[in-house]
Amino acid sequence: MVEKKEYKEWPPYAPGTHVRESDIREKKITYSWWEPEVQYSWSVGHAMSKFLQGLKDGKLYGIHCKPCKRVIVPPRMFCEYCFGPTEEWVELKDTGEIETFSISYLDADARRIEVPILIGVISIDGAYPKPMGFMHYFGEMTKDEIKIGMKVKAVWKPESEREGSITDIKYFKPLEGGSEQWDF
Amino acid sequence: MGFLEKQTDPTSPMHWRGDMQADYFYPNGIAGDKFFKHLMENDTFLATKCKPCNKILFPPRLYCEDCFEEIFEEDWMEVPASGKVKLFTKATINAHGVKMEEPKVIAVIEIDKTDSTMLGIIKTNELDKDFSGVRVKAVLRPKGNREGTLKDILYWQVI
Amino acid sequence: MKEVAVLGAGMTLFRRHLKETGKELSFLATKMAMEDAGLQKDDIDMVVMGSAPDAFDGIHKKGENLIDGAAGAGKPYVRVFNGGGTGVFAPIAGWWHVASGVADICLVVCEEKMGNCYPHPQTAFRHIWDPILDRPLNPNLVWLFAMEMNRYMTTYNVKKEDIARVAVKNKRNAVGHPCAQLADPNITVDDVLNSEIMAWPVQRLDISPPSDGAAALIFCNKDIVHKFTDDPIYVGGVGWNIDSTMWTNRDLSFPRYVALAAKMAYKKAGILNPRKDIDFAEPYDPFDYKELHHMEGLLLCKKGEAPILTREGVTERDGDLPICPSGGLLGVGNPIAATMGQKICELYWQLAGKAGKRQIPGDPRVGVGQAWGDIMQMATVMVLRRG
Repeated sequence: MVEKKEYKEWPPYAPGTHVRESDIREKKITYSWWEPEVQYSWSVGHAMSKFLQGLKDGKLYGIHCKPCKRVIVPPRMFCEYCFGPTEEWVELKDTGEIETFSISYLDADARRIEVPILIGVISIDGAYPKPMGFMHYFGEMTKDEIKIGMKVKAVWKPESEREGSITDIKYFKPLEGGSEQWDF
Repeated sequence: MGFLEKQTDPTSPMHWRGDMQADYFYPNGIAGDKFFKHLMENDTFLATKCKPCNKILFPPRLYCEDCFEEIFEEDWMEVPASGKVKLFTKATINAHGVKMEEPKVIAVIEIDKTDSTMLGIIKTNELDKDFSGVRVKAVLRPKGNREGTLKDILYWQVI
Repeated sequence: MKEVAVLGAGMTLFRRHLKETGKELSFLATKMAMEDAGLQKDDIDMVVMGSAPDAFDGIHKKGENLIDGAAGAGKPYVRVFNGGGTGVFAPIAGWWHVASGVADICLVVCEEKMGNCYPHPQTAFRHIWDPILDRPLNPNLVWLFAMEMNRYMTTYNVKKEDIARVAVKNKRNAVGHPCAQLADPNITVDDVLNSEIMAWPVQRLDISPPSDGAAALIFCNKDIVHKFTDDPIYVGGVGWNIDSTMWTNRDLSFPRYVALAAKMAYKKAGILNPRKDIDFAEPYDPFDYKELHHMEGLLLCKKGEAPILTREGVTERDGDLPICPSGGLLGVGNPIAATMGQKICELYWQLAGKAGKRQIPGDPRVGVGQAWGDIMQMATVMVLRRG
């Protein structure tokens, strides 16, 4: 043990040396620089393999967890809540409802853009309980038209351009004409 | 596949390729900046003495990690950029595991007048010599071209 | 289980770039905490290091790299990490060491150097997304919070003005904090509402900055605390909880993982009515709407009520329930794990009456600190009490 420092106010001082961007650019401090190059190959997993293959075929698949009464999308091999195996693939519609969205004036590299990107989460019809879906872009609508609860439909790339990726869907557009017919 | 389905097609689980992009800037710190700025102007190293432990620490630091006492301005000192080889090896493959055209001698060098060591590459034609205890000195970039990083030490040379 | 007391705390300056290396920052924070407690390295039994992704400092195994500066060389040591939740999780891990009896005195150090990642720490954040489902869409992290903020605002009819009040309150609260990066005594709601729109509804002044910094905290066993002080501050309760990664399948308007972590901490602390029993709180505020979201998650008010309390001034330093009296992340800075300085060290300084210009009037006896991490998943909660 040593003697305590009895300052009245804590923290009593702020140790640390501020450097500005200009100090770094003008090399007022010395430093090292490194550009790592790392490549990855991630295993997609069984469930996602089928989902991505479905996207290539222009279809959306969900999977059933019977004990929890959920049809899950994006699909997974086991249910994260009851921890039981999921079974039975369900072909879902490619329509849904907007759960939330953002109007972004920044692109992925945090650069400013003039025309905003519309991005959000869509609950897919056929999957439940809501919210049950994934993130994607929105298109063919303006930032003043987009709202939570809007019904939307996927716009797919042409078959020849699809590669088994979430980007096989270009974006979701407003759904016109409804998705179901009243059953006589 | 659901969890209970058998996997019969080995080509069907897919892989997704990607990378991790980021560049890194490592400031040398308070002690490091002082050391490298000195090396830019001089052909000697700086080291620090920890009084309680009675040891000369190299590379110099702000505090001693053993007794955790702070090291002050008056405990900094100049030491020669030379030393004695403590351990060494002949490296034949590079950082990526690829065989190098010319093997390199890597050594742990006890820096003169300090109680510490430093890693260095010895430039030599005698690749299979026993370097234990051999005296070496640092060969530095020409003054004016030094940048304030470890690369200002080009290599070590047998004296 | 032993009762655990806090002996001392310390923190460094928070800025976008600091000259010190991670080790040197850890040293400066640890030294201050030791000065507060009156201890030396030999008095410390064990060390816990909290630090968020290695991808910021750019040194893998940075937990081990930092240990020299955290008085850890030659001691039992562990590094913990759960994203942004680390700021309160590291003290929880420190609490485990002492409460279990394996250590009498445990030092907790949190450090972050976000400035090492070039050109901006955002680049490291690109890698937290799911590589298959999310990354091909090239998302920016701000989008995620914008979506959560939108959902929260729509569900409870929250106006942007009330959310902007939080940024104003915290940046003003930070004036007088020696470490503060973005303290501003003159900021107004209009300044926030007129700031650049990043990803609607998030605007520039709604966000806390990335920072370099470090903080330290020292815990000790109740049996020996009388050697150091007559008026100890104790850990009343701890709680932590994490929700599923599948965030697109979760209701974003209420953070249930925060409520579960809070219930766990309140049960241990004997808190039956959080609004009445708790005197002040430091919820995690990387964005201004998060303070409101977390106030409700901490069960300090009803769902949707937090913006009303903010508008009525209840959460000001001299209000009935001061929230983020330190200035929070919005005012002081956001070096991820080192936010322990505002979230837990601040609770200790307030309860011990040592917070100087930031001191809450009256006689605060119970405070709660919370941190939040990963993709809206992790909540860590700690309750400190006086006596």
